[in-house]
Amino acid sequence: MAQPQARAAARAPELFPVDDGYTGNLRDESRTTGFAVTISFPTSEDDVRAVLAQLREQGCTAVTVQGARTGLAAGAVPFGGSVMDLSRMKRVTGLRQEGERFFVTVQPGVVLQDLRNALRQKRFATTGWSDESLAALAAFREAGPWFFPTDPTETSATIGGMVACNASGARSFRYGPVRPHVQALRVVLADGETLALSRGDVAAEGRVLTLVTEQGTTRTVPVPTYTMPHAKNASGYHAAPDMDAVDLFVGSDGTLGVVTEVELELLPSPAVTWGVNCFFGTEAEALAFVEDVRPSVPEAVAVEYFDADALDVLRAQRATGGAFATLPVIPEDWRFCVYVELAGPGEEAVADALGRVADAMVAAGSTPARTWVGRTDVDRECQRLFRHAVPESVNMLVDERRRTDRAITKLGSDMSVPNGRLLDVMGLYRRTLAEEGLQSAVWGHIGDNHLHVNVLPRTIEDYRRGKALFERWAEEVSAMGGAVSAEHGVGKLKRAFLIPMYGQEGVASMAATKRALDPDGLLGRGNLFDEALLGSEEV
Amino acid sequence: MRLVVCLKAVPASTEVAMDPVTHTIVRDGGDAVWNPYDTAALEVALRLKDEARAAGQEGWVGVVSMGIPATASLLEDALSRGADEALLLSDRAFAGSDTIATCYALTLGIGRLCAEPDLILCGKMAVDGDTAQIGPMLAAALRLPVVTGATTVERHGAAVDVEQVFDGARRRLCMHGPGVVTVDKDAATLRMPSIEGVLAARRTSVPVATAADLGADLDRCGLAGSPTQVVSCFVPERASDAVAIEGTPAEQAATLAYLMGEVLA
Repeated sequence: MAQPQARAAARAPELFPVDDGYTGNLRDESRTTGFAVTISFPTSEDDVRAVLAQLREQGCTAVTVQGARTGLAAGAVPFGGSVMDLSRMKRVTGLRQEGERFFVTVQPGVVLQDLRNALRQKRFATTGWSDESLAALAAFREAGPWFFPTDPTETSATIGGMVACNASGARSFRYGPVRPHVQALRVVLADGETLALSRGDVAAEGRVLTLVTEQGTTRTVPVPTYTMPHAKNASGYHAAPDMDAVDLFVGSDGTLGVVTEVELELLPSPAVTWGVNCFFGTEAEALAFVEDVRPSVPEAVAVEYFDADALDVLRAQRATGGAFATLPVIPEDWRFCVYVELAGPGEEAVADALGRVADAMVAAGSTPARTWVGRTDVDRECQRLFRHAVPESVNMLVDERRRTDRAITKLGSDMSVPNGRLLDVMGLYRRTLAEEGLQSAVWGHIGDNHLHVNVLPRTIEDYRRGKALFERWAEEVSAMGGAVSAEHGVGKLKRAFLIPMYGQEGVASMAATKRALDPDGLLGRGNLFDEALLGSEEV
Repeated sequence: MRLVVCLKAVPASTEVAMDPVTHTIVRDGGDAVWNPYDTAALEVALRLKDEARAAGQEGWVGVVSMGIPATASLLEDALSRGADEALLLSDRAFAGSDTIATCYALTLGIGRLCAEPDLILCGKMAVDGDTAQIGPMLAAALRLPVVTGATTVERHGAAVDVEQVFDGARRRLCMHGPGVVTVDKDAATLRMPSIEGVLAARRTSVPVATAADLGADLDRCGLAGSPTQVVSCFVPERASDAVAIEGTPAEQAATLAYLMGEVLA
């Protein structure tokens, strides 16, 4: 990470009125619209500090940091005040080698797809790189293929946004969310002071973190009191005794500071990656297969699910022509699909794993003839299109319905449960959806017991019942020891779900963490907390 | 129905190396894929086979390719998708073949694979050579009828219905085998293999035939059997000298005619 330097007082970048053509910055992919007065486009950490100073001077009470606005929880939707758009902070600033390991340092506005391309081609704009970085780059070019494993659906997401919501993707089954790959962060706090945090350097003592800014101020930060679920989780602040300081900022939804630089650890690319779509006649078969594959196929890097309703929507969309017409026909009796991605050091190892996938299919009651195996680039691209076509087809269906009632929108859940509770949570979803008579389509990261249950409202009444159902699920999933948001973050849309998960006291302890770093509640206003929690020590 | 499909491995990348002496593509085992026109031909053959079997008749697909030893893995891939038998023609003696020498080797390979195929299918052309000659040449060498650039091929009793699309017209032909059909790229999308197919193909060893195995006349193989000699090979320079033509349609037409006259003069 870059060392702090004596900096000349920087001139703040201009603040533009949002109404001057920036109203697009009031929305994100969650289709939520917020409000703000001004917007800035910093290109450096100095710019960020100068903008914050200027806004504090003006008495601004809310600053919302944005990346590519691909989030689904409205975390980047402004709640008054000013928008800080970091999409122009998009430089890869260095590489570092430590023994056999490589780390890349990026500004928060670097787009995931751009980073992937640069890593694959091993080409970077190296202007301003240190000699150490250039030496690491020379070694990196000799070192075979490396990659950054976190793979959210939106490859246009920025790294800063991914860090803010502790993003995941299909391959998080093997590689975890973005959190373990974040090695270091630079953070500008609400008052303009800066933190340089490297994993392993600063740990909490019990549940108290002592952070010293580069300007020499000590901040004593209480770690939230709750216990984290043993499930994939992006719900509120990371909290554990003796936790690393880096982990507090990863997944903090832009509420604790402005991340201005991220160092990510890279991994060597597997030599061989194959994908296999496995089809089943019933959901029970598919679930039995998942339970079997998880322990018996350690080569699996992703285990994804598509239920019969989702495949039916895709079939209907495919029949209308368009881009999805190139997908293979899915026979009518291939009702449920589990996609397994296998990676290994060579074809022999992956073929052996494929054999165990076949065994698990037979044990579950299906047959390995009901599969698509992707070994070539063309086939794997087809599998990628299939995975993306499912949610896309559902969105198209809902958009069609919105033409008759603009208030109708898709409701998508993002909850996870611990291992051993998959059948229970699926039973909950099926039973309650049937009770409410709601149309749904289910897909997602079943390997992590993390499914996106999408309610497809036909009427506004369906929409209301779906929303109420999500609140019920938040209670029941929390009772199972699960997480109310597994990968999208909490943002503004899911903050009510934190109460059943952590309790009022737990959420209040999270607010206390925020107050220690941002006493005025300036950053990410509206995310995670009800306004009432930001003002005082009392709940 | 017995069907033979001719497949060609082409470079996976558009950045290919050229041999400075023979001016042909260096096929050194770098990443290769099936020519996309050929994958359409393979899928057409597999569908005809499936339909024949569904009707209780014989259905068999053989695949043949001339290439370097690494092409065997691509033939294994064809087996995984439903081809029944594969043959690789691989020998230094085949190196540098033009379309005539390639056609000669393929006729021997087809004969080795299947004595009397009902239909031979090829891609309309290859994306590296772009000649579109192999299919018609095979037909001439084997004295068979040929239909080129088929956009659909459907089973019609013992025969096949073949459709071609031209500018503003379609032609539908009924072909009674044996014959040769070359297939357009969009005629069919090659199916993905199943786990069963992949694992079975991995247990199969693709047989390799040399020129000697085929009893080939060496004077008709490779560079020796290729009257086409590539004299030079170069990447054309990109030149862009665009002129925006404005005005009414009549004025634009007049300007265009004038400019064309300038260029042709």
